[in-house]
Amino acid sequence: MKHKEVDTAKPMTPREKIDYQNEIEERVLSAMRKPTPLYWIGLGISLLMVLIGAISWAHQIRTGMGVAGITNPVGWGVYITDFVFWVGIAHSGTLISAILFLFRAKFRSRFNRSAEAMTVFAVLTAGLFPLIHLGRVWFAYWLFPYPNQRLLWVNFRSPLIWDVFAVSTYLTVSAIFFYVGMIPDLAIVRRFKKGFAKRIYSILSLGWTGTFKEWQHYNQLYKYLAALATPLVISVHSVVSWDFAMSVIPGWHTTIFAPYFVAGAIFSGCAMVITLVVPMRKMFKLEKIITIDDFDKLAQILLFTSLIVGYAYIVEYTIAFWSGNVFEESQFIYRVVGEYKWFYYLMFFCNVILPLTLFSSKLRRNIKYLFVVSIFVNIGMWFERFNIIVMSLAHDFDPYAWGFYMPSLVEFGITLGSFGWFFTWFLIFAKTLPIVSITELKEEVA
Amino acid sequence: MKRRDFLKIVGIASSATLLSSCGVEKGTEKLIPFLVPPDEDYIPGVAQYYSSTCTECPANCGVSVKVVDFNPIKLEGLEANPINRGALCLRGQSSIVRLYHPDRIKQPLKRGANGQFQPIGWDEAIQQVVQALKSARGQGKANVYLSGRTTGSLSRLLDNFAKDAEVERVPEYEPFAHANLREAYRLVFGRKEIPFYRIEDADFLLTVGVDLVETFVSPVSYAKQLSRAKDRENFRWLHFEPHASLTGFQADKRFIVKPGSEAYLVGFFLNYILTNGLNKKRIPPEITNALPKIDAGQAAEKTGLDADTLNKLAAQLAEARAPMVISGGVSTHQKNGLETAVLTALLQWALGLTDRLVDFARAENYDHVGSVADVQQLVKRLNADEIGVLFLARTNPVATLPAAIPFAQAMARASFKVALTDFLDETAEQCDLILPLSHSLESWGDAEPRKGLLNLIQPTVEPIFNTLSEGDILLAIADGYQGRPNVFSYQQWLLREWNRTYGEAFVDEFLKKGFYEAPAKAVRLSLNTRALTRFLKDAKLDVRPQGHILYAIPSLRMFDGRSKVLKLTSEIPDPLTTISYGEWITVSDETAERLKLKDKDEVAFQVNGNQLALPVKVQPGLNGDVSTIHWDQLERAFLDVDQRSGEILAVVSGGQMQKTGKKIAIPILSGSMEEAYERGIFPDHNGHGMKHHADVRETLYPPHEHPEYRWAMTIDLEKCIGCSACVAACYVENNVAIVGKEEHLIGREMSWIRIEPFYGKDRDREMNFMVMLCQQCCNAPCETVCPVYATMHNPEGLNAMVYNRCVGTRYCHNNCPYKVRRFNWFDHEWETPLDRMLNPDVFVRHKGIMEKCTFCVQRIRTARDVAKDEKRKIRDGEVIPACSQTCPTDAIVFGNLLDEQARVTKLAHSDRSYRVFEEIGTEPAVYYLRKKEIKDEA
Repeated sequence: MKHKEVDTAKPMTPREKIDYQNEIEERVLSAMRKPTPLYWIGLGISLLMVLIGAISWAHQIRTGMGVAGITNPVGWGVYITDFVFWVGIAHSGTLISAILFLFRAKFRSRFNRSAEAMTVFAVLTAGLFPLIHLGRVWFAYWLFPYPNQRLLWVNFRSPLIWDVFAVSTYLTVSAIFFYVGMIPDLAIVRRFKKGFAKRIYSILSLGWTGTFKEWQHYNQLYKYLAALATPLVISVHSVVSWDFAMSVIPGWHTTIFAPYFVAGAIFSGCAMVITLVVPMRKMFKLEKIITIDDFDKLAQILLFTSLIVGYAYIVEYTIAFWSGNVFEESQFIYRVVGEYKWFYYLMFFCNVILPLTLFSSKLRRNIKYLFVVSIFVNIGMWFERFNIIVMSLAHDFDPYAWGFYMPSLVEFGITLGSFGWFFTWFLIFAKTLPIVSITELKEEVA
Repeated sequence: MKRRDFLKIVGIASSATLLSSCGVEKGTEKLIPFLVPPDEDYIPGVAQYYSSTCTECPANCGVSVKVVDFNPIKLEGLEANPINRGALCLRGQSSIVRLYHPDRIKQPLKRGANGQFQPIGWDEAIQQVVQALKSARGQGKANVYLSGRTTGSLSRLLDNFAKDAEVERVPEYEPFAHANLREAYRLVFGRKEIPFYRIEDADFLLTVGVDLVETFVSPVSYAKQLSRAKDRENFRWLHFEPHASLTGFQADKRFIVKPGSEAYLVGFFLNYILTNGLNKKRIPPEITNALPKIDAGQAAEKTGLDADTLNKLAAQLAEARAPMVISGGVSTHQKNGLETAVLTALLQWALGLTDRLVDFARAENYDHVGSVADVQQLVKRLNADEIGVLFLARTNPVATLPAAIPFAQAMARASFKVALTDFLDETAEQCDLILPLSHSLESWGDAEPRKGLLNLIQPTVEPIFNTLSEGDILLAIADGYQGRPNVFSYQQWLLREWNRTYGEAFVDEFLKKGFYEAPAKAVRLSLNTRALTRFLKDAKLDVRPQGHILYAIPSLRMFDGRSKVLKLTSEIPDPLTTISYGEWITVSDETAERLKLKDKDEVAFQVNGNQLALPVKVQPGLNGDVSTIHWDQLERAFLDVDQRSGEILAVVSGGQMQKTGKKIAIPILSGSMEEAYERGIFPDHNGHGMKHHADVRETLYPPHEHPEYRWAMTIDLEKCIGCSACVAACYVENNVAIVGKEEHLIGREMSWIRIEPFYGKDRDREMNFMVMLCQQCCNAPCETVCPVYATMHNPEGLNAMVYNRCVGTRYCHNNCPYKVRRFNWFDHEWETPLDRMLNPDVFVRHKGIMEKCTFCVQRIRTARDVAKDEKRKIRDGEVIPACSQTCPTDAIVFGNLLDEQARVTKLAHSDRSYRVFEEIGTEPAVYYLRKKEIKDEA
């Protein structure tokens, strides 16, 4: 199917505007129509992955943590890697919606809905991992400060408690932000629905009628929420990074971790947005709405954060060798010569070398290429977390205690399950909610 | 759905959830208190201690058995016992597992018609033996009793039994019979004994191959003596060996000699002393003339040492005020082992040691122990069909004899074979009748490990299975044979025997004290000139081992293999290699380089058609062509016998080694044995790395207050010998789980305290041991990161563990710089009746929670309760953690750092004191005392 590229720089005639607005509405809403077999297959695979993950977890709870590969001295492995990975993915949602909104970056409106959805689902996924990695998950509620007659309290010195608050706050705020941003669109959807579905969407749209007054309040609330969410982008991943930085372990105990992790999170988040939007754009035929120019801008963010991440890698080494600290030096030598060296090289290639090609605008504007790069970045960022977590623990102070960790099938199963869980949510989202912000796109040409 | 249906479903679902969560969690069943206690003195949960004797090896150390609620739960060395003086080794600590071992034979077994063992009753079993004895006598055959080392009253009972039941008692069989040593002393002094070496009083100790602190005769006794000797500034210890032993690394200086050259070394010292020393008169000229003449040059050539060094050492030996020379172990288990032993005995005589330090008055009691030569004699008689009933008591010749002696085939020719044993071992499997023995903790008895020292064995628990003690069995058989009613139990027999031998008053004191030391009878030694001259004429010093040489070294953990069944001995790694389960062979750095071997690579070792294929562990400090294997892991086919003395030869020469290319998974628990100095695990000798009183760090948190006690520990690395007794004691005291090989392969050992070996600066000659346990840091990294306060600093300075609060984030483990926390990856099984061994004072941790050392907080608790009742503070030395209690060298001292007079305070402030990784700012409560400088360069 041929599509006319819309050049928003050129003023449109009123007729064109209305046509364009109708087309947006039509395209977005058509994505919500009856699912194709391909969709069902996708959903089926995702649910199967969830099932594999659930069985693995049940097995782990029943038998003990020992079914995972974690051991002495590597007490955290794939689970915490997955946790940090998914929290990282959750980042670009808020970045694209809130920060770019405040900066009035126009291309944001193509991605914000899917990015926000991704944020909410990624936090939902990430939030599972602190539970999965607990030795006694049935006592997970002890991690919350709830009043009890035994006067037991949580330890507010522990970064894990900060994590509990950071992640739950982030989930709450991003969910609200996601929902509030969707209210006018839900009202549009309501128009096209009948029967029970119409009632649901009516309730969800909170009786939105689109009056001037409503829009005024709405815009104020949205701006306010954007302002509230912005610091969270920085804080959540900073707190997650402190899980490591607050420890004494060489390779973890470093002050650059907060900015390093935030940049990494935005990097991986942007990559995940590309990974998700490219097929979505194709599948729901949104080429006209989400243009190559928009991808170009996303790729620029990817390149920029990649440079920050690369810089952080170099800084880590510089500090380690400048410090003269034997443990730090040994740790960073271990990273490039130890048992896991190929993981380190893989990470460096995916996160630093490959994104450098995005300096070429030709490659930036090549959607297929960008898609491939985004996949590599996802892999690279997963290994970055793995490397930091596992390598630091495997080779710390006491040489006697050095050890080796390899994930077990159960850990692979649960990781697979987490992807299934995430995609299940995303696929349900794609059929039930408008995947692109209709009102904002309309507003652009209004 | 209707409203009613909905309510129904919700109701069913919620009640099902409630019901399922009301189940009793494993191990939390209600305890029902006694209304009427079954015993006057008995208070539930309060420990009682009974003196007894450890029977795990022939050393027979005195033990104090801790009994709680009628279950013996731990053995501790008996403080007053002159052998072990309160200490106990790894095997002794583990031997409680033997008592409760689920694989013990549970009732008498008889081989049925189908060849399988059938359980039978005791009366029937005894009847069968009596009948067999009688019918064998009727056929004119001899009935023979072959046992492991037997001493004390049991030995006298055996003599009675032999008379009453017309059974011939043949010389006992022990794989470690020290036949060459005993034969040497017979040749030199006419006494076939192993003297007691008083190394505690020596100031210059020279040991040749002898594994004093591992398995040699009475290792705990020697370790204790060495520790006392090391307290003296002027004590010097040199060790010579071709292989690498734990003992060797404890010496001030360790010399690696060429294999088989030990005889030349000792011969040179003897020649030197005779020409330059003081006592040359004491050796008659015919012996001097018969002696091989060895000068420094020849000795240097043979041993591979420097001639100047040898001369210097010999001069030091001659000048020493109280020198001491001992050879044994591998140096006497080779072809010229007898020569080495004879020359050593002569050297001891020439140095005048036999007057004082080589003590025959307190000789080790090997009176009835024969040698392999005696077993060969028995085999001959068996093959000639001269033997009717063959008793095999506490011995496993089928598994331990060299394959050249076909014991299994020979014993099949006996008409009736009776095993008296506790496990179904290789020998018992060949027998017709198995009479299960009670453990020494279930029986009455005594042991006389040393001349004039009687150790008590008393029961601490009702027999767990349907077993009897050997004494009871012997009495029953003798009575049956004589047609008398069996009225005497062994206990009654013993009491009568004690009364008769020592008098009424003795028994009460004996029962209370746990041992009796008779005054030593002076022994006058004289040279056995004729036998000695004859021997020296035929002596062949040069054995020239060829090719690759394999040393079968006795294992600290398994002894001759008998302690293998204990499980705990396999769980605790061998301290030199840190390998826990499986079999391996060590190779030198040179061999590893030549064959391009890395740890876990499989090699094939071939000699005279025998072959073994095992994974390697590279072991620095071995002579180039030498490999070692633990005695219990070597196939019997490789072993040979010295026909002169009946000693088993443990050095296999003429071998070839090849790499097979396979890699075998064996659990090597140490990640690395390098970098200890760079990382400050040991400070170097000029004090670098000892930031003991480093400046106080800035902190946002208020300092911890310790109002009354600040528990602390000092560990003297000069004294620590790496024997791992502390590890075993900790396992038993704290219900630490045994997890097995598969878990060890992925690094999930559970030990709370561990011995970490590290190469020294001289990689070949030094090896240092770090004892790592929870450091009870003041600023503990584990405490701040725990989200639920499952680990927290208590007012006595401990990192207390609240096991039930732990949710299992494992963050504390990650953040521990010492990596001493252990996570319970699974629920652990204590197969019945092993669960009776659990210490009721210590929580049994289940899956998903973290555990670690807490300085035996249960012992602190008990001491505090006692102190509180007496309205005082806990005294210094009142609390002794299990590791410190059992330490054979007293390396571990525990106490209250706030008490200025406490031993621990004084040691912690000594100039050797330092703490590991102090620069992290953890403020540990474990202070290490670094090794002393080597005093001179020899």
